[in-house]
Amino acid sequence: MSELDFTISQRPEFAIVSVRMQPGQKIYSEPAAMASMTPSLTMKAGLKGGWKKALGRMFAGESLVVNTFSAATAPGEVTFAPGIPGDMLHYRLDNSSIYLQRGSFLAHSEGVELSAKWQGAKGFFSGEGLVLLKAHGTGDLFFNSFGAILEIDVAEEYVVDTGYIVAFEDTLDYKVVVLPGARPSKTIKNFLFGGEGFVCRFSGQGKIWIQTRYVHSLLSWVFPFRPSSSKS
Amino acid sequence: MRYEILARPAASVAKLTLDANESITCEVGAMIAMSTGISVETTSGKKGGGGGFLKGMKRMFAGENFFLNHFTATQPDQTLILGPTMLGDVVHHHLRGGTLVIQGSGWLASDTGVTIDATWQGFGKAIFSGEGLFWVKATGQGSIFLSSFGAIYEVDVNGEYVVDTGHIVAFEDTLEFKLKKAGKSLIGSFLGGEGLVCRFNGTGKLYCQSHNPPSFGKLLGPKLKPR
Repeated sequence: MSELDFTISQRPEFAIVSVRMQPGQKIYSEPAAMASMTPSLTMKAGLKGGWKKALGRMFAGESLVVNTFSAATAPGEVTFAPGIPGDMLHYRLDNSSIYLQRGSFLAHSEGVELSAKWQGAKGFFSGEGLVLLKAHGTGDLFFNSFGAILEIDVAEEYVVDTGYIVAFEDTLDYKVVVLPGARPSKTIKNFLFGGEGFVCRFSGQGKIWIQTRYVHSLLSWVFPFRPSSSKS
Repeated sequence: MRYEILARPAASVAKLTLDANESITCEVGAMIAMSTGISVETTSGKKGGGGGFLKGMKRMFAGENFFLNHFTATQPDQTLILGPTMLGDVVHHHLRGGTLVIQGSGWLASDTGVTIDATWQGFGKAIFSGEGLFWVKATGQGSIFLSSFGAIYEVDVNGEYVVDTGHIVAFEDTLEFKLKKAGKSLIGSFLGGEGLVCRFNGTGKLYCQSHNPPSFGKLLGPKLKPR
């Protein structure tokens, strides 16, 4: 697969990506991610990969629909912007896999397949936490965050709050646990009151990308400002 | 303890490097990521279980989280990444024996040399002023990390200075302060949206934030479903 010619700008607060496409090239994005494009490109909304894969994406918090942008005969340029202000990264897959946290997928080139990874109890118990998409194949991938993205090179072990995970390489093993260091008798206390109820404990070698803000924290902050319902 | 502030100014986080036995206390939920050689203790007050239930209750009434998390490195060279809820900046303040008064949401973390008292009532009625603010008092010697909604700007006050309470992050208590109405009349102040302001007098450092969290909350709240 030929590599995409792209530029990511406005990092880390308002990151967007512009992709210059050659005739015959295609790029797939999350719906509503397109901000602007040249009229030489055509856009098609559809269920990429059939129903089963589309449903998988839905369970992983992404949309059923994937938009396809193609340059048919003339070159063109398309700019993608995520729905939430934040950072963006490019990752080149080379017959490899990477995991994306719910909602962080933005776009990918041809040659990349997205599938949902059912976490079993791992995902279920992590609260809002860990619902993962797996991107596999050879090609370009773009993912985004709320706040900035920090890269962490794991050599042995590392702990990340589940809400702050953006993506990680599949060379890493992971386990969703309650915050380590809490003795069993204190586990419940930490879980209920500590805020950092669930964390992901990574081991092995590979990279993790974390975001510096978490939408749900912001939502919990706004919550008390709602009007109270008046019984009428 | 070494520290670095990353992703300034809109999505700032504090990246701390702790040596063995070094400890940091932060609000619950502030931990983003960390090395595995760090132990965590959740208490309602000071590290080691101090503070007690009553103090914890007071803190809860002050609007702050009831529980604090204490992170202690059990091995050398452990990293800990801490971040606030709101989009904005993080700054480091070195406390050298004085007192820093911090708006509750502006306190991100502090080391064990600093005592945090969330029961401070210096503003008295401020809690009931409708501004939705509470304050903590930090004393001792050590590092404090402050967070802001929006950008942070420092003002070296020498003489008098007036700040809307929602824009205060922290100030040194060498400054005298008085809560005032922004305008001449009470009604005029609230109609003008300024509510209460703090009038400082003296010499000392003041940290202000570019955005006002209660104003933002009041802007968003009515657009949400009633609870």
